[in-house]
Amino acid sequence: MLTRLAGGHVIDPANRRDTIGDIFIRDGRIVDAPAGGTVDESYDISHKIVMAGAIDIHSHIAGSNETMGRLVLPEHRSHRSLLDGSHPGHFPRPAGTWNTFETGCTYAAMGFTTVVEPAVLPHQALQAHLELADIPIIDKATLTVLGNDDFLLNLLRRRESSSAIRDYAAWTLSTSRGLGIKVINAGGAAAFKDNLRVFSLDDEVPQYGVSSRAIVKALQHAVHELRLTHPLHVHCNNLGLAGNVETALATIEAAESLPLHLAHLQFYGYGKEGPRGFSSAGARLAEAVNTAKSVTIDVGQVMFGQTVTISCDVLRQFNARNSAHPKKWVICDGDSNGAGIVPYHYKATDFFNVVQWAVGLELFLLINDPWRIFFTTDHPNGAPFTAYPDILALLMDRDLRAEWMSRLPKDALEVTTLSSIAREYSLVDIATMTRAAPAKLLGLKDRGHLGVGALADIAVYSPGNDKATMFREAALVFKNGQLVVRDGTVCHAPFGRTLRADPDCENGIKVRMRDYYEERYALSPEFMMVADAVIGRPDPFEIVPCLN
Amino acid sequence: MGEAWIRGKSAPLDDAIAEAANIVAGSRQPVIAGLGTDVAGARAAIRLARLVGGVVDHMHSDALLRDLDVMREAGMMVTMPTEAHVRADFLLLVGPGLIEAWPALPERLFAKRRIVWLCPDAAAISASTYKNVAVVGDNPAELPAIVALVRARCAGRPVANAPIALATIDAFVAELKRVRFGVAVWSAARHDGLTIEMLCGLVNDLNAATRFSGLPLASADNAAAVQQVAGWMTGYPLRTGFGRGVPEHDPWRFEASRLVDSGEADCAVWISAYGARPPAWKRDLPLVALTGDPNTIRSHVTITVGRPGLDHDAVEHLATTGTLATVSARQPEAAASVASVLDKIITKLSAAHPC
Ligand SMILES: [Zn+2]
Repeated sequence: MLTRLAGGHVIDPANRRDTIGDIFIRDGRIVDAPAGGTVDESYDISHKIVMAGAIDIHSHIAGSNETMGRLVLPEHRSHRSLLDGSHPGHFPRPAGTWNTFETGCTYAAMGFTTVVEPAVLPHQALQAHLELADIPIIDKATLTVLGNDDFLLNLLRRRESSSAIRDYAAWTLSTSRGLGIKVINAGGAAAFKDNLRVFSLDDEVPQYGVSSRAIVKALQHAVHELRLTHPLHVHCNNLGLAGNVETALATIEAAESLPLHLAHLQFYGYGKEGPRGFSSAGARLAEAVNTAKSVTIDVGQVMFGQTVTISCDVLRQFNARNSAHPKKWVICDGDSNGAGIVPYHYKATDFFNVVQWAVGLELFLLINDPWRIFFTTDHPNGAPFTAYPDILALLMDRDLRAEWMSRLPKDALEVTTLSSIAREYSLVDIATMTRAAPAKLLGLKDRGHLGVGALADIAVYSPGNDKATMFREAALVFKNGQLVVRDGTVCHAPFGRTLRADPDCENGIKVRMRDYYEERYALSPEFMMVADAVIGRPDPFEIVPCLN
Repeated sequence: MGEAWIRGKSAPLDDAIAEAANIVAGSRQPVIAGLGTDVAGARAAIRLARLVGGVVDHMHSDALLRDLDVMREAGMMVTMPTEAHVRADFLLLVGPGLIEAWPALPERLFAKRRIVWLCPDAAAISASTYKNVAVVGDNPAELPAIVALVRARCAGRPVANAPIALATIDAFVAELKRVRFGVAVWSAARHDGLTIEMLCGLVNDLNAATRFSGLPLASADNAAAVQQVAGWMTGYPLRTGFGRGVPEHDPWRFEASRLVDSGEADCAVWISAYGARPPAWKRDLPLVALTGDPNTIRSHVTITVGRPGLDHDAVEHLATTGTLATVSARQPEAAASVASVLDKIITKLSAAHPC
């Protein structure tokens, strides 16, 4: 069947296209305009905007920690049927507590078609994949968390070869079915087990004598040598602390010339200036990112409202538990990284929260290459992903920002540079940041663009003065060429797949890991394995080839 | 295996499934309860509930909610059994029912560390199997008072009317503060919520000076896994209903036995694949039973299902790892799984009511 989307404004930065034109779809892919032949189905999308389906590189949507967040916040109800067309803006703004069905439908309604769950602990990978399998419409991927695990720390302590580290990373990635590797407060969770409560880049993990920096560098090299498409994804030390910009700057410098991705950089953009000893260092940080060409970042924008923070940075979450709102929390001081669930309310009247909000926007507006900055709220940590349309509107409209700022405390804004920034994102910038660049960063060749051969993951928006509404309710969304959303409402909810890497995994490491698990845990590592057969969907995984 | 009965008479599986679908389709308020099943069965049960506006509840929801209530009303530090196995130098066993909840507990956690058992059940300790286990308190009824006492002394507060010698308690508190990594183990099936909250408060307090975490033992019949499935598929724990089109959670309103006994429910699907646990409700109502042992229940439609992880491969919560994991069938049988039966019922119902 041939489908034609006729006369839309095609914004496709990967193919340098920004014109009125047609898009043709056959068998789930974008095809050339047929020379003659009949169009079976045509959509008139004149006066509408067409982009590839959006890709979210960092959103905590699945796994036992997310489900713990759901279980501990039952008061965050969503009385909304996603198929009945009611308005997603009418959520009572809960966060991260939605079920898998709502997650997929809500993402799709905004024109997102691929989302990465960025924190899967190897021992808990099966649950994450089972949850992803119950998220409809979108395709998914996961990042596997390493860097606080005894096996890796021992490899480093014993100064074993880089090939040993690489083999171990490949083995873990293949057991957990991850697309890439993430490190969260490298060594910090291991240090927490020895009751350390602060941990920085050059601190050493007790018992192992290995610095955080050494862990990051070893994993960065392992990812590079494995030819994984996605660079090492780093959650730095000292998240949320005043003065932590120094940690972020040091980590950026530590990238040297190899690719490195820094997650939710907003949470590291804090200086110690000003009357409250807490200030924005967003401008300094943006400058450093502009200079360090091998570094990519995502923002982790904060928006005001109730949310729940869900993180495998157990040290940080433990320290934050007493600021929980409502007053309840779960800390898992478990294997390797552990995790913490801490509800939190960002307030537009709170000095610190307003500075955080401004730092995120400063990063968006002062980092000048939309191919190296990624659009995230670190869902649900900075804000739920349903806040995305409002953030896009703020980026595109300086008058809207001024209006927001006029209602926020002056003393907080004074320790930021936000009011001096005039930049507005264009639709091409938005399409680059949310489509073309993420596909490139993840190595997904047939996504994030509208060229011939691309997957027919397509979002059509109705432009209007209210940018937030435009991005919240896509006019049409196609997934693999199937219409799934019409006028912001899901009309069809098929199940997508999960993208994973498939690095070479030598037999030697399999034997070594079996011995290690027997010796350390008196268990077979079998319990960590994620078998296709138990996922409950046909053909649940798609392999993303490594770089050649 | 794969046997089925309609009103006590042996019937082909497909007929039993068709009859089960009829019973559910004719219901105003079905409950899908028991839920002793693997992850695939739980996913299918929730799909069925969503389709027919049903309620889901687990036979061990009381215990599940007792632990969960502490998490969602206060706070809880927990660890994983694998981490406890590797690093704990001190095990605090709290109250009765531990070996019953996790028979492999001694094998997994009793070696190589100091162990104190507060108020054990007589049966567990009288055999004196566990030579390295020190006992504090011998009456489980005194446990809540002892935990409160320990917490108070830990915080340096004076206490009165201690059920056991204060010197014993103080020595014990001093020991707790000296451990490198202590793990408190309990089974919610045998405590009230306040005791669990007090214990978790003690664990939290101890983290000011040392490393200490809780290890709540999971209830039987794969309850922990089923709760996780409910969490991700509905956004809520068990005792969640789909009657108004969207999931709603209410621990009182959606308790299966209350719904049945009050007459609010007019049909039930009872799932007990791990053996033969009958429902706790008293009233008769149209009942579809998916059970491991058909002789234990009187129902309109009875379908024998295989035991997960024994007769067929299954994803289950493992006490040893604290995670969901795949358990391969030890004696693969041609038994029907809960998921396969429910999926067939769902297919029949979907065909009857195209959405
Ligand atoms: Zn994150």
